[in-house]
Amino acid sequence: MTLVYAGLSLGAVYALVAIGYNIVYIASHSFNFAQAQLMMIGAFVAYAGFVTLGLPAVIVIAMAMAAVMLLSAVEERIAVRPVADHQTQLITTLGFGTVLTGVAQLIWGTQPLQVPFPLGSKVLTILGGRVFPVEVALVLFAVLLVVAINLYTRRRMNGLAVIAMSQDEEAATLRGINVRKLAFAAFAVTGLLSGLMGVLIGPKTYAVTTLGAALALKGFVALAIGGFGSMYGGLIGGFVVGLVEQYVTRYFGSEFSTLSVFVVLLLVLLIRPTGLFGRVQERMV
Amino acid sequence: MKFWAAVRKAPSWTFPLVLAAVFLALPLFPLDYTTSRYIQLSLILAMVVSGLNLSLGYSGQLAIGQAAMYAAGAYTAGLLSKAGYTDVALHIVAAGLAALVVGILTGIPGLRLGSWSLAMTSFFLVLLVPDVVDIFEEHTGGHLGLSGMGRPTIFGYPLTPTDMFLAIVVVAVAWFAIFRNIVASRHGVAFQVLKQSPVLASSLGMSVYRTKLAGYAIGSIPAGLAGALLANLDLYLSPETFGFHLATGALAASILGGSVSVYGALFGAAIVQFSNDQSTVFAEYNLVFYGAFLLIGGVLLRGGVAGLMRTVIRRLDRAAGIVADHGPLESTTVEMPRIDGAVLEVSNVAKAFGGNQALRDVSLRAEPGQVTALIGPNGSGKTTLLNLVCGFYRRDAGTITLGGVEIGHATPDRIARLGVARTFQTPLIPPGITVRDVVMSGRYTLDRAGYFSAILRTPRFHAVRRRDRARADEVLRLVGLAHLADSEASALPLGQRRMLEVARALVREPKVLLLDEVASGLDEAEVQTLAAVIRQIRDAGCTVILVEHNFGLVLSQADRIVVLARGSVLAEGTPAEIESNPQVRDEYLGVAEQGAARPSGASVTVAEGERA
Repeated sequence: MTLVYAGLSLGAVYALVAIGYNIVYIASHSFNFAQAQLMMIGAFVAYAGFVTLGLPAVIVIAMAMAAVMLLSAVEERIAVRPVADHQTQLITTLGFGTVLTGVAQLIWGTQPLQVPFPLGSKVLTILGGRVFPVEVALVLFAVLLVVAINLYTRRRMNGLAVIAMSQDEEAATLRGINVRKLAFAAFAVTGLLSGLMGVLIGPKTYAVTTLGAALALKGFVALAIGGFGSMYGGLIGGFVVGLVEQYVTRYFGSEFSTLSVFVVLLLVLLIRPTGLFGRVQERMV
Repeated sequence: MKFWAAVRKAPSWTFPLVLAAVFLALPLFPLDYTTSRYIQLSLILAMVVSGLNLSLGYSGQLAIGQAAMYAAGAYTAGLLSKAGYTDVALHIVAAGLAALVVGILTGIPGLRLGSWSLAMTSFFLVLLVPDVVDIFEEHTGGHLGLSGMGRPTIFGYPLTPTDMFLAIVVVAVAWFAIFRNIVASRHGVAFQVLKQSPVLASSLGMSVYRTKLAGYAIGSIPAGLAGALLANLDLYLSPETFGFHLATGALAASILGGSVSVYGALFGAAIVQFSNDQSTVFAEYNLVFYGAFLLIGGVLLRGGVAGLMRTVIRRLDRAAGIVADHGPLESTTVEMPRIDGAVLEVSNVAKAFGGNQALRDVSLRAEPGQVTALIGPNGSGKTTLLNLVCGFYRRDAGTITLGGVEIGHATPDRIARLGVARTFQTPLIPPGITVRDVVMSGRYTLDRAGYFSAILRTPRFHAVRRRDRARADEVLRLVGLAHLADSEASALPLGQRRMLEVARALVREPKVLLLDEVASGLDEAEVQTLAAVIRQIRDAGCTVILVEHNFGLVLSQADRIVVLARGSVLAEGTPAEIESNPQVRDEYLGVAEQGAARPSGASVTVAEGERA
C-alpha cells in the first residue's frame, strides 16, 4: 500500500499541473508551457515564507497565491496576448518559464530546499500502508479541485461562458462575452491556484529549479492520457503516471522511471491520440 | 547606392562562399585559444540550430528536442572512438545515422498529432538523455561522463587542433550548402506549404505525414554531425552538456536568428554561444537571457535577425532602384494545352456529423469538357460534398468514381494525385514565398525530383525546375497574374489570391477541377476574367465543378446545374431549366425576386459570416 500511496500522491502533483494546463486550454485554447514553473515559484515562495521569514501558514498561502497570480497575469500580458497563433505562444510561454527558472536560480540557488508542511510530517498508517500527511492532502486536494471546477463550469454563468469560448471564440464574442477578459481571468485564476498548488507540492517534491521541466513534461503526459480539456481525464492521467513511475522505480530502478513514463506517453499517443476522455474533431476545411 | 546595385548583381551564393573562405583561412592567423574555441563551438551549435530551423521554421513542426539527437551523435562518436575507431569521417557518418534513427523513431508518434504533442515528446527526449546514459553506465560512464576517447584521425592521419578546426569548418560549410540547396528548391516550398496548412498540402497531392517526417528526419541529421564534432573536439562527454540548457539555448538561437532562414542559425548560435562563454557570474543569468530571447523573438522579432536583414535588403533595393524584372505584360489569351478530363460520378452518397444529416442520397455526374455547377443555400451541403470528393471526410454510404474507377476511401493526397484539384473558400497561400513559387508548388507531385537531386543540383533537378517554371508562367499569363510572378503571394488582394489558387490548381493539369466559391469577393471585372478562364479550362477538356453563390456567373457558365437543398438534390438540369424551376426559385432565390440573381455582394457577406 505504501507504494500505492506514493504513486497516488506523486500522481496528484502531475494531475495539478494538468489541471493548470486545462483551465488555460479550455478558456483560450493556448498551451501554457510555464504552468509548472509557476507552481515551482509557489513552492519557493512557500519556502521563503515558512523557513526564511517564519510566517504562519495562512499568510504564507496568501502570499504564494498572490505572488503567482501576479506572475501569471504578467505572463498573459507579455507572452500570450501579443502573440496571435498558438504555436508561437508555446515558444513565448516556454521563454517566460525559462525566465522564471533563471530568476529562481539566481535567488534561491540550485540546491533542493525542503519546504515544511503546516500539518506536520508525522507518518500515518492507513490500511497497512505508510503515508505522510502532505501526501494525503495532495490527493484530496487534486480530487476536490477537479470536482469543484466541474461543478462550477456546469452551474455558473461564467463557467458556461468559458465553455462557449472554448467551442468558438468568435461566436462567444458575438454573444457579448468578453473573450480577452475571460482569457486573462483564466490566467489569473490559474495563477492563484498554482500558488496554492506550489505550497502543497513543495513538501513533497522540494523547492528546486529543475522542478519546472520535469513537472511540465509529466503533467503533459497526464493531460495526454486524459485528453485535452478533460478535468477528470487529467486527474486519472496524473494518477496513472504517478503509479507507473513508482512501480517502475521500485522494481526496475530509478533510471527507468522517466523512460517508462515516456513509453506510456508514446503508447497513448499511438493507440488513442485523443486521450481517454478527448473528442475527435472532423471538420477541417 | 551604385555600390549596392553592384553587390546585388552577384549571385546569391557568393556571400556564403566568401564567409566559408574566411573561416577556412582563419587558422593562417594567430588565433588565441578562447577565440578559436568560441568559433568552433558556435559552428557546432549553428548546425544544431539549423536542424531546428528546418523542422520548426520551414516545416512548422514543433520538434524541439535537437539536444537529444546531438547527444546521440556525440555518444556514437565517443563509443566508436573508445572502441578504437578514431576516424572522424566514420564518426560523422555513424553519428548522422544514429541521430536520424533517434529522430525518426521518436518523431513518428509525435508527428501523428503535431503541434504540442510533438513539442512535448521531443522535449521529453531531452529529459531522457541522462537516464539513458545512466542505464548504459559501463559504456558511457554514466553521469561521471565518457572519457578515454582516442585522438581523432582521418584515413589514418592523426589530426592536430588546427586540423580539427578545419574539419569543423568543412563539415559546417558542407551541411549549410546542403541545407540551402534543400530549402531553395521545390522541397523547401513544399515544407512551407505544409506549415501553412496540412489540408492544402494534401490537396496538392503531398503526403502530409511523409513530408513532415522528412522535415523532422533531415532536421535531426545536423545535430548528429555536430555531436560527432563536439566529441572529437573535447574527447570527453558529460550528459549535462545535453540538458535543457542546451535545448532552450538552441531554440533561443533559432528564434533570435530567424527560424525561416538558412544563415540566421549562424548568427543566433554566435550570440547564444557568446552568452554561454561569459564568466560564471554572468553565466548565472544565462537562463534569464534565453527566456528573454524566446519571449522577445516570439513577440517582436517575428522573422528574427534574418527577417530584419531581408527588410533592410528590400529597402536598399528600392533606394538603389532595383526592381524585380517584370517582363512584358502580355494579353490573357494564352493557348491552353489539351486536358484529358475524366467523368466524376457521385452515387447515393450520405454523410452525417453526429446527429446532423449533412447529405443524404446525393448523386451527380460531371462530364469532361463541361462545367457542372453546384448551387444551394448555405448549409445545403455543397462544401461537404466537395470535401467527400477530395477525401477530407469519410462518407457514410455511396460511391464516388473518377473516370469509372471507384476511389474508395483513398486519402486526400492520393485523390489529388489521381487528378482532382481544388481551390478553397478562403484562399490558402503560404506567407513569404512568391506568386511563381506558389503556382510551382502545385506541380510538386507531378514530376519526381527527390532530395538528393536537390542537394546535388543534378541535371534532372534543373530540368524539372525549368519545366515547372515554364508551366507556371504559362498558367499565370492565362489568369492575368504574369506581371506579379515575383511578388510576395500572401500580400495580394483577395481577388488575385483567388485567381492564384485557380492557377495553382490548373498547373497540375487536373482531370477534375473543383472551384469552391471562387467568385466570392471578386469585383465585376475580376468575375469577367474568371468566367473567361473557366471557359478556357472547360474547352481544353477538363471536368469543372463550380460551387458558387453568384447565380449570374452560374447561369452564364454552367452546362449543367445541380441544386442542393437541406442535404439532398432538389433539382438538376440546364441553366434554362433551373432558372424557370419554381421550386428552385422558391428555395434558393426567394419568390419575390423575379429570376434575377441576388446582388453578389450580399451573398458574399452571408457566406463569410457562416464560415467564421
